[in-house]
Amino acid sequence: MKLWLLYLLLLKATCTTFAGLASLPVLRSDLVINHHWLTDQQLNTAVVVTRTTPGPAGLYIVSVGYLVGRVPGAIIAWLAMITPALLVIPLLKFAGRKAQHPRTKGLLQAIVLSSAGLLVASAFPLAREAATEPFTIGLLIVCIAVLLTRKVESVWVVLCAAVIELAASSLNLAR
Amino acid sequence: MNRPSLPQLAWIFFRRGNFTFGGGTATIAVLDQEVIESRKLVTREQAVLSFGLARLTPGTNLLAYCTALGWLTRGPLGACVALSAVSIPCSVLAIVLTVLYDSWLRKPLVATAMQGAIVAAIAVMFATGWTLIRPLRANTSAIKILFFSTGACIAALAGMPPIRVLLLAVLLGFAWPAEGRAS
Repeated sequence: MKLWLLYLLLLKATCTTFAGLASLPVLRSDLVINHHWLTDQQLNTAVVVTRTTPGPAGLYIVSVGYLVGRVPGAIIAWLAMITPALLVIPLLKFAGRKAQHPRTKGLLQAIVLSSAGLLVASAFPLAREAATEPFTIGLLIVCIAVLLTRKVESVWVVLCAAVIELAASSLNLAR
Repeated sequence: MNRPSLPQLAWIFFRRGNFTFGGGTATIAVLDQEVIESRKLVTREQAVLSFGLARLTPGTNLLAYCTALGWLTRGPLGACVALSAVSIPCSVLAIVLTVLYDSWLRKPLVATAMQGAIVAAIAVMFATGWTLIRPLRANTSAIKILFFSTGACIAALAGMPPIRVLLLAVLLGFAWPAEGRAS
């Protein structure tokens, strides 16, 4: 696994999406499906780790980088995570007014909406693998409902789900 | 406007960026309170422009927003300091926790709890789809929302690579301008 290739693949994921977790489908396509450097289980672990820590949602990429290439991989992932942020500087300097043009805004709307669709699409196979029995399927549905209808931070949902799974397992409700 | 020293700038972004739960939106809210109202480092108009341009910047909005604020307050050095202060500490923490999770997962109790946590993380992915769409509802037609979000989802499920879906979205989005006049 070449670090420069990892950087380019992670950069491709971060540069083609406009929100933290939205890069997940592109990243999964390259690292899990095409190059087999990561498994879906590891990708889920990276998301879990960073949903229980402070910081931006896109931080999961650093965890992915570590899982793929240990500390050098994590450093490369950090670089890939911060590189696109530097693009705001030329935008600030030169593009201010053009950024509000309807075509520019239309383009951004299309990318954000498509990213939402891609995120949902990439969550389906992960859900198929993780929620394999009635209890975990029910837990998934309840977690989604809570996140959509209540102003609850995801860290609490993740921690509660972990505790519920432990309790269910001890009561033989879940495997 | 006040001009902070680089260590002061680093301290602001270190505290707000690495001790706020709830993702980018929550962090931007607490940053605004400190940077605009408490310390008066930038005007609200500058912050609003920075936020809008950060949304236009690929990648994590929070990081672009912090870079923009750093640039506005202390130029290139300020941008580097802000970006580093908001991203390095939480990245180190993420690495440490990833290492710990790796070893903790060998313990049966932790492995069991992790299954529940993974289910919740997947729920976060589904919910994030709606979180991305929600701010656009006010100024985007329902047809456009349905067309792009559902179309992308179906295309991806049918096997189209994500990058191709996004490129197609760029072309179609450019051809379908947002409602309202250019300012």
